[in-house]
Amino acid sequence: MSEIHLQGGQRKVGEIHIPTWQERYERVKDALIDAVQELYKSKTAFIGGMMLVVLAILLLLTPVLTDYDPTKPDYSAFLEPPSVEHIMGTDRYGRDIFSRVLWGGRRLVVIAIAAVVFGLSLGIPYGVLSGYYGGFADSVSMRVVDGLLAFPGILLYLLIVTLAREWHLEGFWNDLILVFALGFAFFPEVARLARGSVLIEKQKEYVEASLTIGEASLYIALRQILPNCMSPLIVNATVRLGFVILIIAALSFLGLGTPPPTPDWGADLSAARDHMESNPLIAIFPGLAICYTVLAFNLFGDGLRDIMDPRLSDR
Amino acid sequence: MLIYTINRILHMIPVLFVLTVVVFMFIQLLPGDVIDTLIGDEEAEDPATRELLMKEYGLDKPIYVQYGVWIGKVLQGDFGKSLVTRRPVALELFESIPATVYLAVVGISISMLIAIPLGAIAAVKRNSPTDYTAQIVSLIGISIPEFWFAIMCVLFFSLYLGWLPSSGYMSPFEDLGQSLKYLILPAAAVGFRQAAYTTRLTRSSMLDEMNKEYVDTARSLGFSEKKVIYKYTLRNAMIPTITISGLQLANLLGGTVVLETIFAWPGIGQAIYLAIIDRDYPLIQAGILVLGVIVVIVNLLVDLLYRVLNPRVALN
Repeated sequence: MSEIHLQGGQRKVGEIHIPTWQERYERVKDALIDAVQELYKSKTAFIGGMMLVVLAILLLLTPVLTDYDPTKPDYSAFLEPPSVEHIMGTDRYGRDIFSRVLWGGRRLVVIAIAAVVFGLSLGIPYGVLSGYYGGFADSVSMRVVDGLLAFPGILLYLLIVTLAREWHLEGFWNDLILVFALGFAFFPEVARLARGSVLIEKQKEYVEASLTIGEASLYIALRQILPNCMSPLIVNATVRLGFVILIIAALSFLGLGTPPPTPDWGADLSAARDHMESNPLIAIFPGLAICYTVLAFNLFGDGLRDIMDPRLSDR
Repeated sequence: MLIYTINRILHMIPVLFVLTVVVFMFIQLLPGDVIDTLIGDEEAEDPATRELLMKEYGLDKPIYVQYGVWIGKVLQGDFGKSLVTRRPVALELFESIPATVYLAVVGISISMLIAIPLGAIAAVKRNSPTDYTAQIVSLIGISIPEFWFAIMCVLFFSLYLGWLPSSGYMSPFEDLGQSLKYLILPAAAVGFRQAAYTTRLTRSSMLDEMNKEYVDTARSLGFSEKKVIYKYTLRNAMIPTITISGLQLANLLGGTVVLETIFAWPGIGQAIYLAIIDRDYPLIQAGILVLGVIVVIVNLLVDLLYRVLNPRVALN
């Protein structure tokens, strides 16, 4: 019995089967079609998903949709109410708010995604390996995670962002630090979640089967157990995206984000406070943008949880 | 219980260690000489004074000795002097604690008063319009940034209607009526987000509880539905709700940095914010350390409370 049937098709024991591009394409296509069909099952996930699609289109097409430079002042048109030329009006320097909201959103969403991906790529291997191998290494690494989990999040960001400011890090480097800080703060949660699922998954028969046929344990942990633990991680990451966006907006609202001319929802909102008595609308649009984005991620995450774990669908 | 308490306190040590190391490293990682950062430029100009100060802070010694010296001072309540006011940092922080506690306690109480009944009703009337409304409102609630909610409240209630002051603070011992007027908007902003979380939490733990067998037993014994729900189920459902709300305090205290700034509320949050703006490093360091320690201690208390409320946990 030299050949064994596993999900990936026929393959020999001990040999790693490398899928062709054709196979990979098929697999991704099937998964996507499945995913869309599944999405219909939950109203929240569907609405959230649609909101995210709209957001993605708006942000991808930003250069086409906006006619104005988001950072160039226009002193002939400041604090104008919404009109045909300026859909959301202009701010105190005459800059088009619509284009500032879109360009700011591009940056914000990219930072948030990068931070969450960073947290996942740190936390998943950490949690999976810790849970799979268990023993002393596991208890030590979980103590570390406990310590980090108890650390009040925003305080850490305040320290890191202040440091970045004192070192005069600007633009790209400032954003990179933010990605690092937000991702690192996410990592313990991911690690713990991944470990928990691995502990359950480890007991199942297919793991034993793989062990019997002599698969390397690292291979079992990462290629067989991990894919089966992904659903809670995906849900968590989605909800986290919304949370990360709220944190970044709060930091830049406090004036600890990127310095002024860069469009930024939090900073724009903070600047709008000085003029909201005469022109309340300028304080409304950046806030609505934050709400829309965070709500989209939260709805999508909530719905995904219902779909992936029907037991929890009441929550 | 005693063993558990001791065990739990021992667990705090690594957490506090991580916290203090991070806060300590913050000063070390700032650009420039540590002595200038801690004392301010003018006072540290004279070479002789400089020498003396270097000795006092152990700056000529390796970094772990410096950490030890610093921890020793912190344990005695010596956080150094504020670079702006030249007063001891501990004093500055001590004065700002009551305002933060006042705001946090009122905010949390408001949120509990709204959220627990709302969550319970949503769970009891599951899949009814009431339930959907509660779910949607609470989901929107956790998606709205608190600072934006605060600004919108100011815009509407202060600038448009002119009912409430847009910012400021007055101690409740001075003039309770006035003090409450200042309190309403910040407390609502604190409570709003918290209420959204707590509603979701109450609903989900109510649903968990309602599926348990003792509920069926109580019903089959002929207790009225009201009694079953409000006397037995809700009580049990409160246990996880209270615990997790307590653990949410970390988020809440973080949020006060933003909200206190918007409402010019003289608490720890605003003190930290002003210190960051003024580059008052000793105050930033001490403020974050104090907030962090408060969070760790509250987490401990909540954990212990959980055991008291729910003795069954001890068996596992």
